[in-house]
Amino acid sequence: MAETLSWTDRLRVECLVWALDARLGDLPRRSRIAKRREVRENLRTAAMDVGITTALRNIGTSHRLAQEYRVAEYGDAARPHWIAATVFFLTAQLFLTSVLTEAAVAFGDGVEAADPHATGTYVWNGIGYLQSSVTYTFVDGQNTWTGGAWTPFAWALWIIATVLVGRVWRFRWTRRLRTATAGEAHQ
Amino acid sequence: MPPTRDSQLLKGVLSLLLLQLLAEQESYGYQVVQRLHEDGFTDILDGTVYPALARLEREGRASSRLVSSSSGPARKYYRLTPAGHRALTEGAASWFALADVVGSVLHRPVPADPIKGP
Repeated sequence: MAETLSWTDRLRVECLVWALDARLGDLPRRSRIAKRREVRENLRTAAMDVGITTALRNIGTSHRLAQEYRVAEYGDAARPHWIAATVFFLTAQLFLTSVLTEAAVAFGDGVEAADPHATGTYVWNGIGYLQSSVTYTFVDGQNTWTGGAWTPFAWALWIIATVLVGRVWRFRWTRRLRTATAGEAHQ
Repeated sequence: MPPTRDSQLLKGVLSLLLLQLLAEQESYGYQVVQRLHEDGFTDILDGTVYPALARLEREGRASSRLVSSSSGPARKYYRLTPAGHRALTEGAASWFALADVVGSVLHRPVPADPIKGP
């Protein structure tokens, strides 16, 4: 058995460990850190024993290992995809807010282009049902605007879409399974 | 023992094997793998054993503690809990009962000319 690992061997261990960590995003943070440490230590010991190439072959791909850990943590039942839900929610918010802000700004620019010294109140209705109207107040071509907030209907659509994308309804099944497993172990 | 090729069969009994090994000796992940290999289960990969140990811990059948190692970071040692001991007893009984039934079927001589259906 080798006494120490070369830096290239350590690098290969770290590559596997961090690839695994990236795939374990659904797990609680503490559990993920514990698994990362355990796999690193076991892999280093195995690499010193049988060589890094064999050790990595024996542990398998990070994809398969992560899948096994997820099943170990949550059981075989279908799980919600919290990361997918979060990424969808934030990305959709960012994208649509950007688009609608640009549209509102374009409306103001249009008013200003039509009359560089415009004075008065102008209203853009925005997208029906999804956002409130945007009110521009012009004073000699300089404008301020208010409104454009998402309506409760838009928020409801967003939440429904997030639940669908993340399959969040599976959370109840997963929790029920965990409770049943814990109860079985303590019997 | 010849290498066992049926991965599904191995997966089914892996938990029971781990319970037995941990009942015999508190061990860390790679040590469990080595002990399995010494017992002839050379087809079982490290990447199958570590999550199986995590599952036993989550189910309350094994507990773990960190023990500092001379070669690097602390190692996570697993040991059986009372629930694990009960699971081992029940699992072993089920296994022997199943093995008896399966064995009694498989030990029957196979006729050279199988009985034909109607």
